[in-house]
Amino acid sequence: MAPSVNYHCPCLSSAATPPPPNLPSSSYSFHPLHTLYFCEECDAVRCNRCVSVEVSGYYCPNCLFEVPSASVRAEKNRCARNCFQCPHCRNTLSVVPSDPPDAGDLTSSTIQIGSIGEPPFFLYCNYCRWDSAEVGITFEKPTGLALQLQKTEDSAPDSLEFERLKEHFEPFLRASSLSASTSHLPSTSHAPHTHTNPITAAASSALARDIPGVGKYNPSLGRSGGPGGGGGRSGRDRTANKDEMPEYRSRVQIGGAGSGGDEDADLMRHLEVPAEIARLEQRWVSSWATSLQSKHLKPLRIPLHSKPTKRCPSCRHILIKPEQKAQSVKYKIKLVAANYLPAITAHLPHAQIPKRPVALKSSVTSSTGPPAAEEDTAEPTMVAGKTYPFQLALTNPLYDPIHVRLAVQRAPLPPQLQSQDTAGTTDKEKEKTRRPPFAVSLPTSAFPIAAFAEAWEYEDEEELFDEDGGLVDKSSPAKDRAGKGKTKTVGVLEKKANCTVVGGEVVIGREGRGDVKFNMLVSYTYRSDDPAPSDGGEGDVEPRSPTAPKAAPEMKTFSFFTVVDLGVIVPKDETKVE
Amino acid sequence: MPPIKDKYTIHSKAVVCQDVELKGDITIGAGTVVHPKAAIYAIAGPIVIGQNCIIEEGAILVNRRKEVMRVGDDNLFEIGCRVESPTIGHFNTISAKSRVHHTVRISSFCVIGIRCLVLPADDEILPDYTVIYGGSTSGDAAGVDAVVERRVWSGRGKVQEADLRRKHAEYLREMLPKFNRVRRGDGS
Repeated sequence: MAPSVNYHCPCLSSAATPPPPNLPSSSYSFHPLHTLYFCEECDAVRCNRCVSVEVSGYYCPNCLFEVPSASVRAEKNRCARNCFQCPHCRNTLSVVPSDPPDAGDLTSSTIQIGSIGEPPFFLYCNYCRWDSAEVGITFEKPTGLALQLQKTEDSAPDSLEFERLKEHFEPFLRASSLSASTSHLPSTSHAPHTHTNPITAAASSALARDIPGVGKYNPSLGRSGGPGGGGGRSGRDRTANKDEMPEYRSRVQIGGAGSGGDEDADLMRHLEVPAEIARLEQRWVSSWATSLQSKHLKPLRIPLHSKPTKRCPSCRHILIKPEQKAQSVKYKIKLVAANYLPAITAHLPHAQIPKRPVALKSSVTSSTGPPAAEEDTAEPTMVAGKTYPFQLALTNPLYDPIHVRLAVQRAPLPPQLQSQDTAGTTDKEKEKTRRPPFAVSLPTSAFPIAAFAEAWEYEDEEELFDEDGGLVDKSSPAKDRAGKGKTKTVGVLEKKANCTVVGGEVVIGREGRGDVKFNMLVSYTYRSDDPAPSDGGEGDVEPRSPTAPKAAPEMKTFSFFTVVDLGVIVPKDETKVE
Repeated sequence: MPPIKDKYTIHSKAVVCQDVELKGDITIGAGTVVHPKAAIYAIAGPIVIGQNCIIEEGAILVNRRKEVMRVGDDNLFEIGCRVESPTIGHFNTISAKSRVHHTVRISSFCVIGIRCLVLPADDEILPDYTVIYGGSTSGDAAGVDAVVERRVWSGRGKVQEADLRRKHAEYLREMLPKFNRVRRGDGS
């Protein structure tokens, strides 16, 4: 696995510092940069776990028709036009006319059929050659297929059953929504939500609502708004429910239609090819009472997709807002973290040595330590007891130059956490884990990264190219020497456009085990455009974005945590065996 | 192994581009179109291709056996496929990047799906209307799906497909010579 850098989103804990990276649960706090958002108002990173998501529109991924949200439910979240999926391979089906009466000899070159489509039409999969005539579905005209299928679909036993179930529960739902609306008012007064919009309010009321049918079975949970009236009301509900809720009788007997009967056993007994039985993923989307046989699979209307709008959880500002049109892949608002935070990529120079030409490789590897270079593996392996350089390339997305300062989080584990962590292990192992398996050194001083500029601005600047070339020439032997661990490896190695490469070093202890994975605090200083909002922002900033006290008044500092994963430590004795 | 003696018999109505790699004893029938950068290798035995076939760019036909490899009429070999079947019937489609080994004989109206690898251990004859398609989305490192699904096509729509195939070949016979040098057989 290549070294990776993930970014911390502080939404899961109240602490400003991220969890130690060696805990498995810490992976939930770290995300790749491209999945993160950035709220300008709060000056904070937001991730997919903490943003609130609203659906801004539904559309069919095949015909790109925007389905009004009113009809989404009526159409059962599927395209109600001409879009169908193959039940066998999930390819999109196309409508084709029937063949003209068979001329008998195909090889004769006198096939002349025009573009006249002859009914009956049927659905045809171009990939696996399934067609709907196999299950007896044909159409008189090639448009409005879903409408033509509606009749058979609606008369199917499972959809009838579903309709009946809905009818059965309708009065209870209505009653419960009534009771919820009356009991909801007092409960909101002490609700912890300070910011509610209609959608979250509706959702939370739906979650908090008393469901009469459910309340009957666990009356202790039948809680409602008023502390005085709560018990009495739930009690009343209980007595009322006994009368209100008649037992539901299904239309069809389960087991008779499709699943688990003697028929199926018989079918299985006479099975010749496993493909005769529809696989689970093919039957998954249908009801429970479908036939087992793959030849009975029906075409599926294509499920709709939605375009979500994402909001910051604390200030409710929109972070992501797609364009309404289904054909468009653009966004009206797109506040992604990649536009605000420097992108960091990590790599290990010693892992790249084997990829070089053989002659060069032998000369380089003869003096270098890592035995990984001798094996022809591209995998970066790190052996316990050795020192390895690594490089971090930081790319500045801002239009202003920034100064970056890196720091490794050295906060040791709290003792009780440590003991919890190693509760199941022996004392000796505990001793080992207590000692840090590796030490990381990074450049301590701040270094600059040039501003981002569009590519064409570099185009005519000859001297810049020359400078780049010179830099590359200078830096590439430096890298080689870095591989030998003799020259400077810690510090700024390369500057090119808006990307700066800095080197670090990791010293792995003799008894080192596990992953070389450490938290790194990145703080960068940039010139803020207008000082007034920045002051306001600094007034109520969270502790994770502290303002550097030494910075000039118009400069602003933003800090964030990352986790750098360089790879696995190979224990020393294992490599000796090799 | 004796050196391969080249002998190309190309029908005057066939369109075989100049930039095609041919080796060994090859016969190409009337109306067949061979795109540039295709390759036909008759390594061990001769290859006989029927009428109105379309062999697209990067397609490779190989005969590793002593006996004649016979390819029927109206077959479509799509871009980057590799076929070593000893016999191929009529109206088959070998989709892009698929690979068919010499242990498989293909009848008529078969479809080998995109990226599918057909490699049975024993000799096998694919019956008419067999459809092989990739069941899993994950291919191996070689870029082919080794795990394939198999179905039998009902044959509905074959007249239309045949008609389309004819028009396809007809169009190519008209257009390809306008932009490519065309190879002639030894005879002409």
